[in-house]
Amino acid sequence: MSRTRAARAPHANRVNRAPRPTSGRIVANTLAVLFCLVWIFPVYWMVNTAFKPPYDVTTPTPQFLPRHFTLTNFKAAITQSHFLGDLRNSLIVVSGTLVVAIALGIFAAAALSRFRFRGRRAILVVILAVQMLPSAALLIPMFLVFNKMGLLDHYLGLVLAYVAAVLPFSIWVMRGFFLALPYELEEAAMVDGASTANILFRILFPLVAPGVIATSIFAFVYAWNDYLIAYTFMKDQSMYTLPVWLASFSTPATGTNYGGQMAASVLFSLPVVIFFLAIQRNLVAGLSSGAVKG
Amino acid sequence: MSSPTATTVAVGEPVAAAAPPRRPRRQRGGRGVKRSGLAPLLLLSPAGLVIIALTIVPIGYLIWMSFTDAGQRMLFTGEYDVVGLQQYRDILTDPSFWKSFARTVGFTAAMVGGSVLLGMGVAQLIGKVGRVMRLALTFVLICAWAMPNVASSMVWGWLFQPGYGVGNWLLTQTHLFGDVTDTNWADRPGLAFVCIWMLIVWQAVPFVALTLHAAQSQVDPAYYEAARMDGASEWRVYWTITVHFLRPTLLLVTILSIIWDFNVFNQIWLISKGGPDGATSTLGVYAYRNAFVSFHFGVGSAIAVVTTLLLLGLTAFYVRSLVRTGEEL
Amino acid sequence: MGRRHHEFPGATAPGPTRAPRENTQGDTLRKTRTLVAGALGIATAVALTACGSGSSSDASDSGKSNDLSAVKGAGKTITVWNMQGDLSDDTMKAINDEFTKETGAQVKVQTQQWADIATKVTTALATDGTPDVVELGNTDVPLFANSGGLADLTDAKSQLQQGGTWLDGLAGPATVDGKLYGVPAFAATRTVIYNKSMWDQAGITAAPTTYDELTADLDKVKAKFGSQKDFSPFYLPGRYWYDGLQWVWDAGGDIATKDGDTWKGGLESSEAQQGLNDFKTFQNAYSTKASATINTTGTGQPDQDKDIFAAGKTSAVVGNAWEIGVIEQDNPKITDADLGTFPFPGKSGKAQPVMLAGSDWGVAAKSKNQDLAEVWVKIAASEAMQTGPIAKQGWIPVTTEEIGTVKGTADALHQAYFDAAMNSKSTPAAANWATIEGDGAVEQFFADVASGAKSPADAAKGFDDHLNQVLNNNG
Repeated sequence: MSRTRAARAPHANRVNRAPRPTSGRIVANTLAVLFCLVWIFPVYWMVNTAFKPPYDVTTPTPQFLPRHFTLTNFKAAITQSHFLGDLRNSLIVVSGTLVVAIALGIFAAAALSRFRFRGRRAILVVILAVQMLPSAALLIPMFLVFNKMGLLDHYLGLVLAYVAAVLPFSIWVMRGFFLALPYELEEAAMVDGASTANILFRILFPLVAPGVIATSIFAFVYAWNDYLIAYTFMKDQSMYTLPVWLASFSTPATGTNYGGQMAASVLFSLPVVIFFLAIQRNLVAGLSSGAVKG
Repeated sequence: MSSPTATTVAVGEPVAAAAPPRRPRRQRGGRGVKRSGLAPLLLLSPAGLVIIALTIVPIGYLIWMSFTDAGQRMLFTGEYDVVGLQQYRDILTDPSFWKSFARTVGFTAAMVGGSVLLGMGVAQLIGKVGRVMRLALTFVLICAWAMPNVASSMVWGWLFQPGYGVGNWLLTQTHLFGDVTDTNWADRPGLAFVCIWMLIVWQAVPFVALTLHAAQSQVDPAYYEAARMDGASEWRVYWTITVHFLRPTLLLVTILSIIWDFNVFNQIWLISKGGPDGATSTLGVYAYRNAFVSFHFGVGSAIAVVTTLLLLGLTAFYVRSLVRTGEEL
Repeated sequence: MGRRHHEFPGATAPGPTRAPRENTQGDTLRKTRTLVAGALGIATAVALTACGSGSSSDASDSGKSNDLSAVKGAGKTITVWNMQGDLSDDTMKAINDEFTKETGAQVKVQTQQWADIATKVTTALATDGTPDVVELGNTDVPLFANSGGLADLTDAKSQLQQGGTWLDGLAGPATVDGKLYGVPAFAATRTVIYNKSMWDQAGITAAPTTYDELTADLDKVKAKFGSQKDFSPFYLPGRYWYDGLQWVWDAGGDIATKDGDTWKGGLESSEAQQGLNDFKTFQNAYSTKASATINTTGTGQPDQDKDIFAAGKTSAVVGNAWEIGVIEQDNPKITDADLGTFPFPGKSGKAQPVMLAGSDWGVAAKSKNQDLAEVWVKIAASEAMQTGPIAKQGWIPVTTEEIGTVKGTADALHQAYFDAAMNSKSTPAAANWATIEGDGAVEQFFADVASGAKSPADAAKGFDDHLNQVLNNNG
């Protein structure tokens, strides 16, 4: 685009747009409301169904509010076998995954964004390319490798499986956040004689906090939701995680208990929402600190 | 209020325009903390070990299996035969493979386009609306993201099932399409795809929007203030400042979406099983039908290798520019 | 990183000799070797190249004795996998108590979920810490039998059978090339469940015994309630292939037959075509239009016949015995007195043969306690368990003799289920049958017929081609 033409456009509109476009605000708010309505609908339907008795679940005319409000689905969901044990396993594995994935990811991302060394591009391409393999194809080879290494049926094995799955992605995303930081930061610090470790831990790592948080949501959701790896890599049922419990509401011999399934899904989603709301503050704090201004 | 020079620079190089203390970035050859030394190796090795041991080695295994007829027998008894390139020949000469491939490319483009554009829009909305609305938006996004797959695919089935579908009911109420209560979306090629597209975009937008929003909020507000002071329109500000800063993240999100949508399988399988008559049979469905139901790991591995190479070929341009974008910054 | 690998030879260890290759196309020129020997060529840090330290369970290792009643196992524990929702905790306990009494060994029960169960069992049977006994859906047995995952139980067959006559629908798929790989665990069948009260209101007093009576009755029901929105006299989803097959069998057709070593799809036969046309006519006449392309269940389609029945939107369905309980639970206004069951009267003049559902017990080839596992299976299949706790749960026992015993004591509502079991069939005992179920082809086939998307002849041609290709694929 030509600079002059582009430069002229703002001037033409200046009067209308200054100082804060309130009409734009209205449009934005309307769009946001519309988006919220559409996007929340499936979630709302899940919650709605969770409070319905079975005979109200499928009706020709939809019931947008439970006509016969009931909590039995939630009771059934919690008393379904192994809920507490599976919950505990999930919490252990997911928090383990988060800690390891973030620690390894942030180091690797720093190396791949703030240092220059040979083979860097190759590593980047490899990290990206390994994500292109369909995960279904990788399950059996991974299973065999984990079996060889004695990692089946251990928390550590599942944690490492998830770390391996989310790490390439995490490195890529965190690297993006590192790249967004101005180099003047380190240069100034180097002039002051700060060590590499100091620069990393005191200056860079705190600044990529929002990136770390964005990545951790992804890792959390991935590890929290995975069923197939948890189901195949854990042999003992006392080691199963919550998604396995979530799968127990559907059997050929009793059909699918929709109310129970939806109630369980609501319970299952809650920790993710809570996790996000908890780190949401940090996210905002990290951003509003204005540290990035350089 | 606006000096011509400032505006001119803002278009081409908004960073420099809005951040006076910052020096031009392109001059230096070496960037980063240190150029060499052990530091990067130390930083990389933990992640590298994990990736090599738990991803690269299984991939090597997979490639090797693709030259064998490995199946359940191999797992149970250790027996298998080496079949060389036979499986690759079979796949590459199978017309339905190429049809699935073409379909996959089209589907991927539609799904990636949908999720990235909508995600950009929503990320922008988050920044534009008031505090309450912003919280509502993030809450909705995270709820959609948090909803487990088993629930969302079930609810999707509900929304669009014939007879009792809530979506069908709502559409019928609008009187725009006539009575569609008995329509089975999964049974009509076009509608099946629309249904799958909606589910995937619905699931993908939260990630795209929140990631872009996080990146977007790292942009120094001073740039915006400067541009607005120059009287730049909101669109102009968006394209010249936001998109400029978002470029690496945007590229990243796009390529990740391409990778994910290219390999998408579960959602398609749950909604249409690749039907009707193969209309939604993508490479994921092809692989599942030909290898994973019957546990023909050898065939499955060969399909995975071919698929991955095709995807690499298709994205080579993006991968290159992604890596280069990173280098330039 | 590879320091532990010698302790875990696992999946790639040389296989047990007692599960020889079953490959019917055995190309003797092709080399067969163990995975480990050829391993990869990627001599990475990880232990893939470790030599398998042969921990497999040879027949000789497991010290098999021929007499199961003499097996003792004090101090040992076997692991049994059962499936969520099948045998209850009480039933399992009854079997385990008897097992412990006989052998002194303990049992660890692990309940598995249905989603991805084939993958789960495949990986589990590959490792050393394999379960000793696994429950498998009857049509899934060939998938594991043919590939060496399950132990050959042929030698113990007469002891396991305990003098009874196993239902063909369970023993058939468990028998591959004349060898026994599974022992029937329990069965389930389907019959027509109808709303007697509604039929009474339509002026019908007795259950139909012929096809013409059935359609005449349904016409009356339709006349009485047909004006209700979404009402169907007989809710029969087109994708419900268990039912569709009944029509094919009733007309004298079959899915596929084995001729020598070759499977041949049989849906183009004139008999099968007749059955398919009748199915389509009946489905179109008495079920809703919306139902032609859906199934009774499935994640993508939460439209279940029992819910529709409970909601009073249909007066009859083809369903399992457990559906009666669910219907009554869903709508407490419906009780046993409102319900009736009868075998679906076929056009042939006899009741339609039904698809037998149920499970078999398999013993893992890598199990180190095969004798104990066989004893456990024997107890689970014994008459005491079959006619006791298993029947009490509502399952059909696995021998014709036991069915006779239990039928005598069952209530009127469940009689039809025992009759159906005696007149049951199952899917072809082909190793690759699981593919046909798994890839959705069989559902799509019946949906195409019911919805008219394809003529029965066209649909059958496509499906037969698929059957021929998949069932004969030995790769």
